Formats: sequence, structure tokens, C-alpha cells
Amino acid sequence: MPVIRITSLKKEYSRNYVLKGITLSMDAGQIVGYIGPNGAGKSTTIKILTGIISDFEGEAIVMDMDVRKNPVEIKQKIGYIPEQAALYDVLTPIEYLRFVGKLYQLEDSLIEKKSWELLRLFDLADKAKSRMNGYSKGMKQKVLLISGLIHNPEIIFLDEPLSGLDANAVILVKEILSQLKLSGKTIFYSSHIMDVVEKISDRIIIIDKGEVIADGSFETLKNNASQGSLENIFTALTGSSEQHQNTAGQFIDVLKS
Amino acid sequence: MDKWILKLVLFCCRLLVRQGVDFERLKIIAETKLIMDRRRVYLNWRQRQQRENSNPLMVTLIVYAFLGLYAGFMVFVTRSLVISAIIIHAYILFMMTMTMITDFSSVLLDTADNQIILPKPVNSKTLFVARLVHILVYLLQFTLALSIFPVVFLFIAYGFLVGITSIATVLLTVAFAVFITYLLYAAILRFSNEQKVRDIVGYFQIFMTIFFAVGLQVLPRLVNFGNLLDNFQLQAYSYFLPPVWMALTLESVQQFNFDSIHSLMIACALLLPLFTFWLMIKYLAPSFARKLAALNNDAGTKKSGIPYTQRRKSISEKLSSFLCRSKSESAGFETVWKITGRDKGFKIQFYPSLAYMLVFIFIFVFKSGRDVNTLWENLPGSRMFLFFIYLPMLSITSAITFVSYNENFQASWVYQSTPVGRPGQIIIGGLKALFLKFFIPAYLILFAFAFYVWGTDILDDFALGFFNNLAIFLLIASLGDHYLPFSRQPNVKQQSGRFAQVILQLLVIAALVGLHYLLLTNDWMIYSLIPVSATGCFLLLRTIRNLRWVEISF
Repeated sequence: MPVIRITSLKKEYSRNYVLKGITLSMDAGQIVGYIGPNGAGKSTTIKILTGIISDFEGEAIVMDMDVRKNPVEIKQKIGYIPEQAALYDVLTPIEYLRFVGKLYQLEDSLIEKKSWELLRLFDLADKAKSRMNGYSKGMKQKVLLISGLIHNPEIIFLDEPLSGLDANAVILVKEILSQLKLSGKTIFYSSHIMDVVEKISDRIIIIDKGEVIADGSFETLKNNASQGSLENIFTALTGSSEQHQNTAGQFIDVLKS
Repeated sequence: MDKWILKLVLFCCRLLVRQGVDFERLKIIAETKLIMDRRRVYLNWRQRQQRENSNPLMVTLIVYAFLGLYAGFMVFVTRSLVISAIIIHAYILFMMTMTMITDFSSVLLDTADNQIILPKPVNSKTLFVARLVHILVYLLQFTLALSIFPVVFLFIAYGFLVGITSIATVLLTVAFAVFITYLLYAAILRFSNEQKVRDIVGYFQIFMTIFFAVGLQVLPRLVNFGNLLDNFQLQAYSYFLPPVWMALTLESVQQFNFDSIHSLMIACALLLPLFTFWLMIKYLAPSFARKLAALNNDAGTKKSGIPYTQRRKSISEKLSSFLCRSKSESAGFETVWKITGRDKGFKIQFYPSLAYMLVFIFIFVFKSGRDVNTLWENLPGSRMFLFFIYLPMLSITSAITFVSYNENFQASWVYQSTPVGRPGQIIIGGLKALFLKFFIPAYLILFAFAFYVWGTDILDDFALGFFNNLAIFLLIASLGDHYLPFSRQPNVKQQSGRFAQVILQLLVIAALVGLHYLLLTNDWMIYSLIPVSATGCFLLLRTIRNLRWVEISF
């Protein structure tokens, strides 16, 4: 039973199609890596599935609900952690989580309890009462992760969630994602960091210029491309490897001149 | 203008310093920093600053010159050189100090030089001189703007000799201002936490904004006050004040009077700024630099280690539980309450409009043309309490607009990613917070005052006024475009409000206040209008609470 079904999804911005007909379906309990270069349409897809953008062509069904008709019900059951997410940093993490938790309609006492526990697990308990404008990017990212998961969602959409995290936190987050998967959650993970996607994804979807260009497990993709790491697959599939070498060469030439 | 001053300063530098300074690099460093100065957004002028290529520095300098014009008028208003000179120098001292603290702090507290310039092949002496040149050019620009009119007026009124001397005293006053600023920073830096330092600087900025808002209204009116100052006597303590040294120096030049007190003042005027300046360079500046360096390394980690059960609920969290109907509403209430108390951008925009309440009272007192005592005696017989009832509304409705702006406007994505069915609930929560936090206290103070003057007669008027005010507040909120709290980017070109809408707003307000005025003598009508007004509030409250996503602007 698929939890996400997309049928010929299209989205245009000022007569320019950023999504040119994407059809996908995803089963529960999977980690799906959604990869593509900047401007490929990754964030747009996620924004449509999370009910943030309602103006699109085609059909998108999340947990048997149409995202156009039931965005609020869907939002209650999913978690979304956007790329380069900002938060109101004059608040303390406790206050921010209280704010987001209330928007998720959680009980005050439950928010309070969960916030403290989760912040403690992320090593932020001793700073839980100081305002976040003194926080590093990684610390804010941890708070954002918590804010997107605090209502225990069924599907989790992550847009570049590891950017800015320190090495230990990256390992921790990967482990958290794996365990979420074991408990039956679906994770939709968008990234351009090949390395991370390769290790934790059950299935990898590569999109470019608004179209799906590869879909399958890492092994399948590897066999198809008959090359080593996913990064090579990626560059081979998007066809820009030679171009990079070329540009780099010119760069050196200018430095020498 | 800064280019000419830079040329002048560089020319002087070339004469004074020969060895170890690379003038090409010195010039490029100073020039680059001056370009950045020109582009720095002046918080005082946030609202007016809309085009990117405009020159906020120039706007600030023109406003300073304009304020200097008023201070300079003192030369003609009073016949006493001492008094006008004291006012001019006090003005320059105050403005320079405040400018240094509020605006130049970003330059002084900036340690980016260490990362950007030090790794480049620039020797430390060049960098030091470049910083000095930059600060000098900056100071001279503001000195010129502040003192151009007063000094010209002194030339006109008291002749060449006093004019020339005034240039020297103005420069000495600026030197003293630099010293005061440094002392203040040294004090602030004791709070080793960078955030605290920025907070304190932020408070000064808010104070300055209020000062400007109020000053532009009040100062021009004070010029008429000048005659009162003619019979002004110097007290003993005043000899300790720098502006007095400067003023008496000017006087002794004017009268060729070098008696003991004047000589002493000249000595103070000349020697003390130079001495403090030397003291600063020798002792304060190095320790300042050390502390500044330490500041950036210190992330301010303090372990609180308080378990969550001991956390006390804040006021807003207590209030929201019985003032708000839904979770979304209390989320809006608490967040607006907390952020309006902490966000500098909001405070800088909104607090001046609070201060305008005082300005209105001030103007009202002055406009009457009578002295305060007669005004006070006639007050109980008048209907002025109506003015007090509707006074706070003028200031507080502006918060409705300001609360939609935030530097972190991108953070408003959470409203969309969370299951918020009716965004109107968040908006109404925010409006409740604004009304409770800013209107109620102001209204209570004015009520206490009115109760003291008029007694129980005004109880019914204040009761009706309360609901009318709330109705006006909600009406303005419901007629304008709806924005979620803290979701708009500040400093972008603001859409001009729809004209018809503004007119409609004013008509409704005028109708409500006018009706209240007409019915003042009719007590039972006032009482019967209270439920009508309260019903209006209730309906408006419900309209806003039920706003749907399609009715929200972004």
C-alpha cells in the first residue's frame, strides 16, 4: 500500500515548467533519497507533497488524502524540515518548540516534556534556556529537526537536513533516520550529498530539470551506470563531468596569467 | 564629501608619518571601509530607506545638519554667548557620543579585519593607521554636519576670532566624545557575552530613535523658549561640565577677559580632552582590543543545568491559557508577546510611536498658549479626558503593521508546514497580545490620571472608550491586508495602502469619537452604547479569527 502517490505532477513558474510530469509511488517504511542538482525541482516536489504549494497540475495523494483537498489533515501526520530553514532566533529553543508544538495542536505539558528530553539527547539541554541568536548553524539545525519531528509524524520530508551539522551529529541523525524507518516511518530525503544518500537510502530517485532520470536501489543504479560511487553515477547521469574538468582547467590558466 | 575629507586626512598623514606605512594599501583599506560606511543601513532611518542605491549616510548627515541648525539658532535667540555656546557644545557632545555608540559600534566591535586583512600582506602599522584614518574621516563627516551651522552663526554673530576659536572648541568636544564612548564601551565589555554587548548597544539605538522622533517635534518649539534662558546663572557644579569649559573659552576670547576663572576654563578646555585622549590611546585602547578579541572567542557557554520541572511559566504563557481559545491562537499570542519584547527591529519601529504619546501631550500643552498652572486649574472643567481616552490608540495601531515584519521573516515557513486550518487564529492571538501588552498599560495610566482630575464622572466614558478603542484596533486590523506575525521582509518597498481603505478607517474612527463627544453629557446614552460597542468588538474578533488562507497576504 503506497503512502505517497504522485501522478504526472507538473508545476510552472512564470511559464517555465520546473516539474515536467513526475510520476512516483512510495511504500511505507522506506527511506527514499531524492537527488538532483540545484533547480532540478526537489524542493518544489516536497513543497507540493507537504501541502505548502497547492497550485500545480497532476495528482498528489499522501496517506490516501489529496493534498489539494486535505492539506491540514496531511500536515498533522507529516513532518517537514526545509532547506536552509530559518527560525525565530530571539526565542529560546524551549519557547520555539512550544510555539511549533502548539501549531501542531499538541498539549502544553507534552510539548514541554518532549522538548526537554529531545534537546537533552541532542546535547542542548544546558543551552535550552538561552536565546538562539547565539547558536551556531548546527545547533539551530538540531532544534529544527526536533521541531519537525515533535508530533511523531508518519512521513518525514527532509530537505538537506545535514547541512551545518558537525560530524557527530551527522552520524546521530543518520542513526535516527534508520531507527525511524525500523519503526515503520517513511522518510523522503532530498539532498545533493551523494555520500549520505548512498548509505541510508533503500531507494534512490534522481531528478534533473523537472524529470525523473533514474529510479532504483543503489545497486541497480550502480549496475546501470557501471561506475563506482554514486557521485559518479550522478555526474554521469546529469552529464556534466567533462564540463567540470574543463572549467577547472580554465580556472588554473587564469590564475597563472 | 567623505572623499575630500579622506584626501585631507591622508595628506596630513603623509606629513606626520613617514616610515613603515604603505600609503597605497592604507588608501585602499580606508576607501573600502568608507564605501561600507555609506551603505550601512542606519537603524534610525529604517522606514525611509527603501532604495538600495540610496545613500543612508548622507540622509543621516543631512538630518544632523538640520538639527544643528536649530541648535545654532540659539546664537541669535539668546543674547548671551555663554548660553548659546553651552547649548551648541552640549548638543555636539551628546550627538557625537550617541552616534559613536549606536552607529559606529558595528565598526568598533567588528573583528572581521583580523580574518580579512591580517592574512594579506599588510603590515600592522599600516593597518593601525588605516583604522585611525577611517575613524577620523568618519568623525570629521559627522562633526562637519553637526557643527556647520552653529559655527557659521557664531562667525556671523560674534566675528572672526570667536568663530575660529569655536572650530577648535568643537574639535576638542568631539575628542571628548570619543573618550566618553570608549569609557562606555570599556564598561559594557565587562559583560563578556557578545550578545549582551549587542543588546546594550541595541537599547542605545532604540533610545536614539525615540530621541529623534521626539526631538524633531519638540526642539523647534523650544526655540521660542530661548528668552527664558537669559536670566540663567552658572552653578558651581557646572564648571565640571565640558560644554561650559568650551563656552567660557569662547567668552574670554570675545571679551579679552583672561581672569583666573576664565584661564582655568581655557586650561580645562584645552588640556583635559588632550589628556583623556592620550590616556585612551595609551591605556584604554589596548585593553579594549584585548577584551574585544576575547569576546569573539567566548561563545558564552554557561551551564544552567536546571531540570525542566523547575521552569517557571512566563507571563505570556500564563495569560494565553485563559485568554486564547485554540492552540494556534495561544501560539500566536505567546510568540508575539515574546518577540515584540526582544526583537530590536520591532522595538526600533514601535517604541518611537509610543513616545509620540508624550509628544502629543507636549504639543497640546504648548498649543494652548497658557502656562501650565492655568491649564491645570482649568482642566477639571474641560472635556480633555476624551483626548486621553483616544490618545493611546493613535500610537498603538501602528504595531499592527510593525508586527508583521521581522529580520527572520523566512522563519514563517512553519505556519505553512504545520496543520493550521485557520490562520486567522494566529493573527487574533497576536492582536490580543499587542492590545494587552501595549494598550492596556497606557490606558490604565491615562485612566488613573483622568480619575485623579475628574473623579468618578469619567468612569462611564472610559468604559465606553475601552470598547471603542478595541473596536478601532480590530477594525484597522481587519480592514488592512492580513499578514501573519513576523512574516514580512523589512526594508522592502512597502505597498502603499489602498487610499479608499484609509479614508474609510478615518471615517469610522471619527464617527466613533464624534459620537462619544456628542453624548458626553448624556450618561444613560453612554451606558447603553457600551454593549453596542462590545458587540461590535465581538463580531470583529470573530471575523478576524475566521480568516482563511486565501485571505492572507505574503
